[in-house]
Amino acid sequence: MSDAALLNTLLWLPIAGLLGLGLLPRDNERGVRALTLIVTCMQLALAGRLFATFDPTVPGLQFATEIPWIRAWGVGYRIGLDGLNVLLVALTAFLGPLVVAGAVPAVRRDVKLFHAMLLFIQFAMLGTLLAQDLFLFYVFWEAMLIPMFLIIGIWGGERRIYATMKFVLYTAFGSILMLAALIYLVYSLPSTGDAPSFAFEYLTRHTPPAGVQRWLFAAFAISFAIKVPIVPLHTWLPDAHVEAPTAGSVILAGVLLKMGTYGFMKLGIPLFPAAAWYFRPAIMTLAVVGILYGACLALVQTDIKKIIAYSSISHLGYVMLGLASLSLLGIQGALIQMVSHGLVAGGLFLMVGMIYERCHTRELSDYGGLARLLPVYSVFFMILTLASIGLPTTSGFTGEFMILVGSFDAAWPQFQQGQVAPLLLSASAVLGVVLGAWYMLWFAQRFLFGAARAPHQPLPDLGRRERWVLAAIVAAIFAIGLYPQPLLRKTELAARQYQTLLLSGTAQAAQR
Amino acid sequence: MNWHGVLTAMLPEHLLLGGIVALLLLEIADARTRGAFAFALAAVSAAAAAALWLHSSGYAAAPFPGHYAVGPAASLAKFLLLALAVPVLLLSRDEFTESRYFALLLSSLYGACLLVSSTSFMTLFLGLEILSLPVYALVLIGSERAQGAEAALKYLVLGGAATATFLMGTSFLYGATGTLGIDAIGIARFTTDPIAATGAALIISALFLKAAIVPMHAWAPDAYEAASVPVTAYMAVIIKSAVLLAALQLFGTTPVPPQATTLVALLPLASMVWGNIAAIRQQSFRRLIAYSSIAHAGYLYFAFLGAGPGRTQTIMFYLAAYGLMTLLAFTALPGRGDDAARDKLQSFRGLFHRRPYAALGIAAAMLSLAGLPPMPGFIAKFLVFRNVVAAGHTGWAVFGLLASYLGLYLYLRVIQIMFMQSPEGAVQPAQQRRLAWIAAAICVVPAILIAIAPGWLLDRL
Repeated sequence: MSDAALLNTLLWLPIAGLLGLGLLPRDNERGVRALTLIVTCMQLALAGRLFATFDPTVPGLQFATEIPWIRAWGVGYRIGLDGLNVLLVALTAFLGPLVVAGAVPAVRRDVKLFHAMLLFIQFAMLGTLLAQDLFLFYVFWEAMLIPMFLIIGIWGGERRIYATMKFVLYTAFGSILMLAALIYLVYSLPSTGDAPSFAFEYLTRHTPPAGVQRWLFAAFAISFAIKVPIVPLHTWLPDAHVEAPTAGSVILAGVLLKMGTYGFMKLGIPLFPAAAWYFRPAIMTLAVVGILYGACLALVQTDIKKIIAYSSISHLGYVMLGLASLSLLGIQGALIQMVSHGLVAGGLFLMVGMIYERCHTRELSDYGGLARLLPVYSVFFMILTLASIGLPTTSGFTGEFMILVGSFDAAWPQFQQGQVAPLLLSASAVLGVVLGAWYMLWFAQRFLFGAARAPHQPLPDLGRRERWVLAAIVAAIFAIGLYPQPLLRKTELAARQYQTLLLSGTAQAAQR
Repeated sequence: MNWHGVLTAMLPEHLLLGGIVALLLLEIADARTRGAFAFALAAVSAAAAAALWLHSSGYAAAPFPGHYAVGPAASLAKFLLLALAVPVLLLSRDEFTESRYFALLLSSLYGACLLVSSTSFMTLFLGLEILSLPVYALVLIGSERAQGAEAALKYLVLGGAATATFLMGTSFLYGATGTLGIDAIGIARFTTDPIAATGAALIISALFLKAAIVPMHAWAPDAYEAASVPVTAYMAVIIKSAVLLAALQLFGTTPVPPQATTLVALLPLASMVWGNIAAIRQQSFRRLIAYSSIAHAGYLYFAFLGAGPGRTQTIMFYLAAYGLMTLLAFTALPGRGDDAARDKLQSFRGLFHRRPYAALGIAAAMLSLAGLPPMPGFIAKFLVFRNVVAAGHTGWAVFGLLASYLGLYLYLRVIQIMFMQSPEGAVQPAQQRRLAWIAAAICVVPAILIAIAPGWLLDRL
């Protein structure tokens, strides 16, 4: 099989699985779970193979496919792997089987529909990451909404309908602005003899004038900022996370939120470099506000799931800071941090789900001293906590450290020229690390240590399935923490290209 | 007169007429009521096939010069209308066995066909009247409720007002330009003659009223609710499509003059906003569809802001996507039972657990009407706003998109009721009818095809 076919197989496997699910009877739950697990494992294998063969020395797209779809509009089925999406594709494929395995005890109703939705969202997420055509990107971007709407709304907690409506209406508002902007972008470009085209590669070569760019960037940015989420557009996130079933939370934290930061990196900044340059101070400020505000909110929560939900806001603030920093180190750090947060937050949500299945409460005050009751659980939980704080040797350290060093790197020359604000922002971001250590350690202390109590006893410790799932995540966290070199190598060229684009924004802004 | 031309060019109409005559004879004989459905289905299918044949062979003729002309575009429009009527007929099978019902339905279709071929105000008027008159009776025929008569009367009176407005506009235009050809409305654009301008405005208002554009929409929810399911489907899909195609016939591909932009944009925008907001509070599925169709009429008239061949393409594609998906929702409605209870949204509670395929069908229809990808409704919405932007009305496009955002909640609410609420307390629905399955398949298969390969269809419009 050629490599492009391999990538297409990776993308379309979930749809094949979906058709397979259609043939299974509704009450054959074992069959449904097994089929979904097989499909996601096959995806993981394919993604591993693609990751291994991805050539870091070749700039631009690899394994690309281009087929005209709506010829008259210049819309094509264009997909491909590049340094910006390769890590996230691997992450999505990696979390797939874990989500399926993690959902076994929690999902008892409508098992078939649930797994169909898992496969569909897997398809939509991979499609969003792989798309190299704006129209195709938008189709996949919006298609992610429907399965998540159902996953939260059907299998969620008490206030699930409120949470899922809020999630969809928030996200769709951003999307509608993005749709308006993308229509305007494509049809306002001066026709230089070429037919209009939605290809990213075409659109990055033909940027609109700086004044128009600002409007269009703002529309795209609101859409992405809601997904990330960037403060003050974050209020849907705690509700969605708390009400979602475990699998939904893992998908949300693991991959869906990264779509926002990925959107900034892949579309927002390359398509509108001048506007991105113009808004860069605002993005950096909001990123730092997000880091600190998310951390402060996490500090005062009493619901376990909410603590992790708010910590996501804080951690994704780092990613935004890295993306807006001008240094290669910061940009690559942002890429690593995306993967790391997917693993750590995904793992933590899985663990919260495990304790919730045993005790049916997420109230922190109901728990205490779990280290004595559930030793294995506590070890895994402690590792994930430390990774979340960013202890050296874990992936969290690699990402955050690179971002902070990168942003200082970029801020220092500006400081020497008399600009204080960038340095101040970088310094405040460091405060986020301290706050992060505070809320996570305090949480772990109340949760794992002290007098042993739990609302439901006796508590069985982790089973074999749960241990395997967590072991896989922990292994990946340490792998990235100890040896990030392969990841850095694969993304270096793309990050460099991204940095050049960002810097070209100054030239463009000055020119016009 | 060119008899051969008359025979070939009007073949779809003739086939319908043959069907009507046969049905009336059946009614007189009053022996086999069962045969009525078969006759009607055969006539409509044959007419649709004839229209498709005329379109694909590129047949163009004007058997009645200055009044009636056929071209590939008109044949395609006829095919669209007739093909969408097939699922409606299939749905009618269990509700109506009387031949008069089918005779009325076919007569209305005859008017729709006449409408899209007319090149003068006389034939256009005839078409509009033949399209609407049988429907007043159809609303009444299937109505088992007390409000049925009231709704039908309301519909009749407002329909009559539309007719009068249309005639008044026509006479103004005739007075100003001295011609009854529909290009008179084009001539009116270039004159500053207030009489011609008034005439054009009156005609536009009449078409707005027929398609239920705010503030002339109040008849729609009542009429849709009072009519029985197939008649509601017919009004929501075919009448609406025919009126829009008539508007397309009138205005062709000429751009909207700047002084009329506000009229052409503002009222449809108001329809989108009001239709989408008012639909949220509805407790009855048919009323919800009525408000949704008010909003969709808004999108369709919005397409007139765009100019050129893109306008025809947009409206045809939109009508196909909207028609197929609305009909799909109707085919998935529970079978004949307690009429008032069956379309209460409350009786949809937990529908997914009781009848998963019906729930999935309605859900797909709702997502498409909401314009979410990858449904065909998204491509249709994209087409509309693309053309509006390309014509330079970016501000209106942004408002329109925001108005379409308002519609999201109402469609998601239906899905939420079907999938996320427990079925306790809901009435057990009657058995799904076999013909409804066939009707659903007729809607689903083309809908999937145009979602996967929209380019193929767009190249042919």
